[in-house]
Order: sequence, then C-alpha cells, then structure tokens
Amino acid sequence: MKNLTLNEQLGLVSYRNQAKSEIKPHIRVDTEICNSVCPHKCTTYVCPANCYTMDDEGMVHFQVEDCIECGTCMYACDQGAVSWEFPDPEIGRGVNWNFG
Amino acid sequence: MDEKFDCIIVGGGVAGLAAAMTLARKNLKFLLIEKGEFAGAKNVSGGVLWGEDLAKLVPDYWEEEDGGWERFINHRRLTFLDEGSSFSVDFKSQHFNETPYTGVVVLRSKFDRWLAGKVEEAIAESDYAMDSFVAPNILVEEILMEGDKAVGIRAGEEKFYADSVILAEGVNNLLTRQVGLQDSYVPADHMLTGVKEVIRFDQKVLEDRFQLNGLSGMSNEFVGYATRGIEGGGFLYTNRDTLSIGLVLGLKDLREKGSPDKKLTPYDILNDFKNHPAIADTIRGGEVVEYSAHIVSSGDKRVIPEKLYKAGLLVCGEAANLLMNAGKAIQGMDYAIRSGILAAENIVQAKEKNDFSEARMKAYQDELEKSYIMKDINNFQDAVHMLHDPLMYQKVPNLINHFGRQFFSISNRPTRKAREMMRESVKEHASWWELVKLGIKGARSL
Repeated sequence: MKNLTLNEQLGLVSYRNQAKSEIKPHIRVDTEICNSVCPHKCTTYVCPANCYTMDDEGMVHFQVEDCIECGTCMYACDQGAVSWEFPDPEIGRGVNWNFG
Repeated sequence: MDEKFDCIIVGGGVAGLAAAMTLARKNLKFLLIEKGEFAGAKNVSGGVLWGEDLAKLVPDYWEEEDGGWERFINHRRLTFLDEGSSFSVDFKSQHFNETPYTGVVVLRSKFDRWLAGKVEEAIAESDYAMDSFVAPNILVEEILMEGDKAVGIRAGEEKFYADSVILAEGVNNLLTRQVGLQDSYVPADHMLTGVKEVIRFDQKVLEDRFQLNGLSGMSNEFVGYATRGIEGGGFLYTNRDTLSIGLVLGLKDLREKGSPDKKLTPYDILNDFKNHPAIADTIRGGEVVEYSAHIVSSGDKRVIPEKLYKAGLLVCGEAANLLMNAGKAIQGMDYAIRSGILAAENIVQAKEKNDFSEARMKAYQDELEKSYIMKDINNFQDAVHMLHDPLMYQKVPNLINHFGRQFFSISNRPTRKAREMMRESVKEHASWWELVKLGIKGARSL
C-alpha cells in the first residue's frame, strides 16, 4: 500500500467552516516564546497535523487551519507558548470526524 | 430558558451519554451539551469498547441489525515486532461469540451518534420528554459558580442553571481546569499521542483476510518496532468494511527523541508501521478514508485529578483521565461508561435528598474507588510503569523475534536445543539479570 503524504492524509479530514475565509482560532501560540527561549521547538515535530512549522532560519510558525484538535501541543509545549480556548462553533474551525 | 435543570452534562461522548441515559431512565430533567455538530463529531478512539457495560445502556444491542458498533471481538492477538519479523500470541475462542460480548469495535463518529439516538429515545419515554435535551453545536465556555458550588453553565450570552453539572468533556479538559480540579498546565509525562488511519476494503476481502465470520472481529496490539524506539505501541482493529490501524506514542518520549530530519514524527512513524512487512501484508489493497489523531492519558495514577468533585459538580470519563493500558487491553471507553453511570446515580441520590453539597458529591468518588475502574488502576500501576520501560517496548520484542527466527528456522544441520537458542537471544538483546528483574516485576504486577 502506498504511503500517503501528510497533505493527502489531511485532505481526507472534514473541517468545519471550510469555506469561510475568516475563522476564529481555538489555539493561540506566542511564537515569540518559541523563537526566543524554547530549547526544543518540539511542536514542529510532535503535532500530528504539522500545524507548527520551522522555516529555514529556524523560526517557528503556526497555522490553525489544519488542526484536528487532538490536544498534543497543549501538553507538549512546556514553555507556556500554547493556549487553547474554543470559540463559538459557528465561527471556529476544528474537525468533523466521518469515522472517528 | 428560565427553568432550572436537575443536571447539565457537558460533553456528548460515551461518558456524557452514559450519564444522560441513566438520568433519563431515572426521570431527571437534564441538558446535555455537545460542542460538535452532533454527538461523536469530535471524538476519536482506537477503537475497542471492552466489557459488558454497553448492555446496561442499550440492552440487547446485539439484536439490532445495524447498531452503532462495528464488530464484536472473538479473536485477540498480541504481536511483538522487530524490524523484519513478528512474533504473536494469538487467541480465538467461540466463548467470545456469546452475548453480551466482552468487547466491540467502534468508530466514534457513528457509535456516539447512535448512542445519542438511544438517549433521545429514553428521554421521549421519561417524564421530561419535552424538557430534557441533547443539544449539539453549543460550546460551554464557563461553569457558573456561586461560592464553591457549581450552579450552571454559560454558553455565549446564554446562561443555563442546574442543581448539578457533570463534566464529561474528554481528555482535553479545559473546564475541569477552569474549576480548579486539574492543573491549568498538564505536562506531557503521562500523555500519549494517538494517530490512526481508517482503511477501507471490500467487505468480503476484509472478512476473508482476517477470518471473520458474520460480525466477529479481531483486535491486534503491537509492541516493539511499531514505534521506532519511542515509548508506546500499535493497534489494529477490524470494523465492518474498514480497519482501524494506529499508534499511541508517549508524548514526553516523542518530544525527546522525535525529529523532523530523522522522520520521527507521528505521521512518519505511522507510515513506517504500515510498511512493516507483517503489517503491509494485512493492509494491502486498502484505501485510506480518514486520518485522525487524539491525546490519551496513560493510566498512570499521577495524572488523575486527586478530587473529581466539587459541590454540585462531578467529573467522569477521560476528563478525569480514566484510562488504562496494563498490557491486556487499552481500556478507556468502558471506564467512561461506568464512571458516567456512577456520576449520574450520585446525582439521582442527591436529587432525592436535595443535597448537592461537596460531601454528597464525594460519594461519587467513593463509589468510583470501589468500582473495578479504580481497583484496576490501583492494582496495575506497576504494569503500567513496566509497559513504559524501554526494556519492554524495545529489548523484549527484539529478543523474542531473534529467538523466533532461530527456533522456526529449519536448516539441514544439527538443530540446537531451544534453551541454547534462548541463551543466545538474551545475550544479543538484553541480559539475564534484566530479564530476571522483568520476570519478578511482571509476576508481581500482572
């Protein structure tokens, strides 16, 4: 069986409000912390949806669009950079599992 | 809505639905709030609901032609992997064909939705047919407190009041933290990241490949190379016409050992697992239809909140980190059902005496301690720790497979005794002393 790339895997996920361009994120990341004091920048490799990426300069960036609400970053970040707060479902993002 | 409920349940997963079913049957007026579009929309599990408690919620659920569950388990397999081999302990028994089944595989989006339908039916038959609700698509932002007592919830601008609140919000328990029963930051130490794919087959192909008969199913757990040296393990469960295949990865270990350059990320490790020769042969020709991930707690007691109650408030299911893998099975959904039932029963008694004080709510935790959930969690802590020892998820699987390769190799040379082979395997992958220690620990903990 051929491996799927992460993009292909995420392409199978149904998200809420997929058509909306403006959504309110349920995770806020203070990347100042990631890019100044964090010794491991682990979110860039523990996040199952690769919402946290590192650029060529080693700077961490975050996007919430692909988030599948697993919770990994909530625990993995021990630097206080990640905070979760769900918005009203109508204006948020997040998943709608077909199988779960 | 001005009227006051007897109870507000936050979360429409198995814990919340179990509580709701119990309250409906006991004629209490309740409101269950779920933030997903429907019950199950946000829920992921590996997938086996172990034990017989489902029958308490839906008696004779097995009679239903197309119930919310996938298959019942009558075939179990534990597989040790090294890089190129697999060594399994395999048990299949027709005793497991008898109802109530001792385990059913579920896909939560379908299962929870089905169970919520059953709750709606129970509401319709209760005294509060028009006054109790399962309300999806609403986010609970705040637990309303009067002094130390929970008195309701706030969702946006709306406030709903109740004598009691049951938190069944799942492992990412933001409200449990908000009311101070869990620390606001929970470290990665006793958490695992689960990743999973659902792979679809022609149903006949699936049934033939896994020797399934009717709605029988198989559960297979994996230790060893599955996780490429990261603490954790793998699983494979048969659904009706799909497989659930995935990994749970110790998050602290993943943080320490993971790396994008070495392709040690959850999705890369999952792909490696799928490419293992023993796995690749079982999933050939399938089509991935969903990729999912979710955090689970490990079953280490240290992560379970010390107190699961406040005046007017109870916490159950994974919100209380009630989950355990002691080597035999990953149990979580059955704990969710039982703790949901116990929480609701406590609310029923509280309602009779009109006493929602902290002392009354504590009775829930006392019942939980007396139940199999906390008895097992307390009794099997050593087993939980042992499973998270590198000896168990690295050396032992390698040793077993090394031995297997020797033992099952037939060459046209004089054959050595198994004891000699074992000695060599041990020398290669561990030491006798390590094994003696493991044996003693194992004997004690299991």
